[in-house]
Amino acid sequence: MLHKRERPGSPSFRTFLSTVFSYRKNAGMAAWMLHRLTGLALVLYLVMHIIGLRSLTDPVLFEIYVTTFRSPLFKIAEVMLLGSIAFHGFNGLRIAIQDAFYRSENQRRMFYGVLAFTAAVVIVGGLVILYPYFIKPLLP
Amino acid sequence: MSPREETGERLSEKRFRAVGWLMQRITGLGLVLFLGLHFLLQHLPNGFLATAEEYNRMLQQGEVLMQQESQSPKGAWAPKEALPGEHVITYSKVVERLQSPLWKVIDISLLLLALSHGMQGLSKVLGDYVARVRLRRTLVALGWIAAALLAWEGIRVILAAGMNIG
Repeated sequence: MLHKRERPGSPSFRTFLSTVFSYRKNAGMAAWMLHRLTGLALVLYLVMHIIGLRSLTDPVLFEIYVTTFRSPLFKIAEVMLLGSIAFHGFNGLRIAIQDAFYRSENQRRMFYGVLAFTAAVVIVGGLVILYPYFIKPLLP
Repeated sequence: MSPREETGERLSEKRFRAVGWLMQRITGLGLVLFLGLHFLLQHLPNGFLATAEEYNRMLQQGEVLMQQESQSPKGAWAPKEALPGEHVITYSKVVERLQSPLWKVIDISLLLLALSHGMQGLSKVLGDYVARVRLRRTLVALGWIAAALLAWEGIRVILAAGMNIG
């Protein structure tokens, strides 16, 4: 929904925000919003990933590239990346299944299933990724 | 109302969008498989990565190109020892895997699936927030050009990997 003050069709950040905050707050909208946000984040990551991996033509550059990402901060980012991929993938499967069978009466329950699967992947994958950086040093 | 009056689109454009909708399902399913495999192999511990012991031995033996430190175009750079239990992606491991044509095909498929799925999704998002038709078409076209350039770069890198060895 566009506000009256704004020129219709102007792709301003304010138009975007006012649109976003006009959405209803429920499970279906949360699913749609998260799908969109994770999708945009993954596109951004994909572009950086492909540009970064151009270093694969040179062993030294590749080593520098990989070493950059071996820090605690980037390991946390890696878990967030895993969470985005898992959510977008599971939610995408939910959308495809609903579309294929023309049914939506189970969509809320399926969305909670998506969240559960995502949480499981993030917990298991996250523990494995963070283990050398955050968990191992704490162990006796 | 004719289809054109509703959204200002020609029927051919609507058909094109329907194809895009179907493609988004197909590439999405492909990505669930390929990207799942990719993350499992490259981000979680397994044989395609070096263990902490292997990596630190490589560092000590100078195999991680410490001697070329001064030649690094990014200036001062020091290799970082692997923490206990850490698994590290190394040049040699990646290149070793990519010497197999099957892995080249898998990685190129993943690249093309991800780029087309991402660009298709981005054009949907642009369609929601950019109402001016000509601006939207320009942005979408620029996006696809960028995707094509990235695909070109990615394929070039994947094909070149492992070719200069042996």
